[in-house]
Amino acid sequence: MRTLKTSEAAAVLNVSPNTLRAWERRFGYPKPQRTAGKHRLYTHGEVAALRDALQEGLSISSAISRARESLSSDTSTLVGALQAFELDRADAAMEAALALRSVERSVEEVLLPSIREIGERHGFDSAPWAFAARWATDWLQRAQRMAPPPMRPAAVLVGDATRDDLDPDALALKALQLFAVRSGARVLVLPISGVAGLNEVLGAFAPQVVVIAGAYASDDDVARWAYRVRAASGALPMALFRRGSRSDAARTTARNLPESSGEAHRIVLDILDSRPRGVAAPAEEHINQPDDSRQVKAS
Amino acid sequence: MIDRPRLVALPGHGDRRPDVQFCGHCGRPPAEADIQPASRVCTRCGLGLMVSAPPEAAPSPHDPFLLVDGQLSICGVSRRAEELLLVDETEAVNSHIGDLLVPADAEIAGPESLVNLIVHAARGAGETHHVVLRPAKEFGIRFWARIAPCGPPRAALVVLADGR
Repeated sequence: MRTLKTSEAAAVLNVSPNTLRAWERRFGYPKPQRTAGKHRLYTHGEVAALRDALQEGLSISSAISRARESLSSDTSTLVGALQAFELDRADAAMEAALALRSVERSVEEVLLPSIREIGERHGFDSAPWAFAARWATDWLQRAQRMAPPPMRPAAVLVGDATRDDLDPDALALKALQLFAVRSGARVLVLPISGVAGLNEVLGAFAPQVVVIAGAYASDDDVARWAYRVRAASGALPMALFRRGSRSDAARTTARNLPESSGEAHRIVLDILDSRPRGVAAPAEEHINQPDDSRQVKAS
Repeated sequence: MIDRPRLVALPGHGDRRPDVQFCGHCGRPPAEADIQPASRVCTRCGLGLMVSAPPEAAPSPHDPFLLVDGQLSICGVSRRAEELLLVDETEAVNSHIGDLLVPADAEIAGPESLVNLIVHAARGAGETHHVVLRPAKEFGIRFWARIAPCGPPRAALVVLADGR
């Protein structure tokens, strides 16, 4: 994917860098990524689509609307391919998306919305949904295999509280996992249901942040798992991702992450970056122990 | 004297003043010392594209106005119109003009109807027309509006005024 610095993108559009930043604030487009040094990086595809649309537009808003439309054609192509059960065409649609966007944005703006649309059209217990979800899982795993090796001293433990691979939250979890791996973190996903032998695994993995993802497992199961994690790894920052109505604020002070995998990933990175090395997080950032919750219930 | 065909200016066309340019957001004319003449983006506010219209129809920077295409879709809402109509351009773009403004006199039909005037103006045809409009969801408020061709691309310019 070709990217442009702010000055380059401004030159392509024949506007000043300040104008480009003003468009980002007012219209949310073009939407740059950030480099490690927090500099803006624009995807060439987005900028080129806007340049073409500006020539035919009456206002910046209408031009941006048209540019967005031209980019969203990837989503309809992917939905069409998956509804026709054509895996090669689905792969090609993602290739086309990757030509215009980063992997993260291709997943967030094309893959996940397309799969969700199929689920909403056919039902999340239908065969077309299963077909599409399996393909998406496979695609995310392939993308993860191509990710660079871990570069940053960050280890994320994910407690998988989803039902199975066909749980709609499972895809969001896999996307979050991919983003974290691509940002150089080590990621370990363990099922909430498995607590036997957890000490040994965590002793070797040494997580720095814990994310509990999915709304299928009960609060009791999650609390039991979180208690074991705490016993094995000490006080760690904990966050909830897509726990839905189960994330009961009265019983936990763990941080709730946004629904979007990309936004959740950014917050997880912030938690990792803000965590002083060698200093344990305050104990109140943790889910209550299961014994506590039982006491509350019993009373 | 040789009597042969020759080109003559049609009455009225020779006197017609050239179109004037204004920004579709702030309504101001292009800056004289425009350093980027190849761009249609307004160098004053950076949030609008330069559009041309006949001088008698072009808005002043204080006039609220809208740009509407031949499919009656709103393509632009000026900053003043955003304030007047309490809409954001980003939300209004691509919606039907009827969602925002309707004729104050609903009984006007035929060539004088709002739809016809906008469609004709968006084709680049016709002169400036004056109509009375009201917000689609409010009664008791009226705007004196002028509708004229503008572009590029071809569209209808709807300039709102309070009638004073």
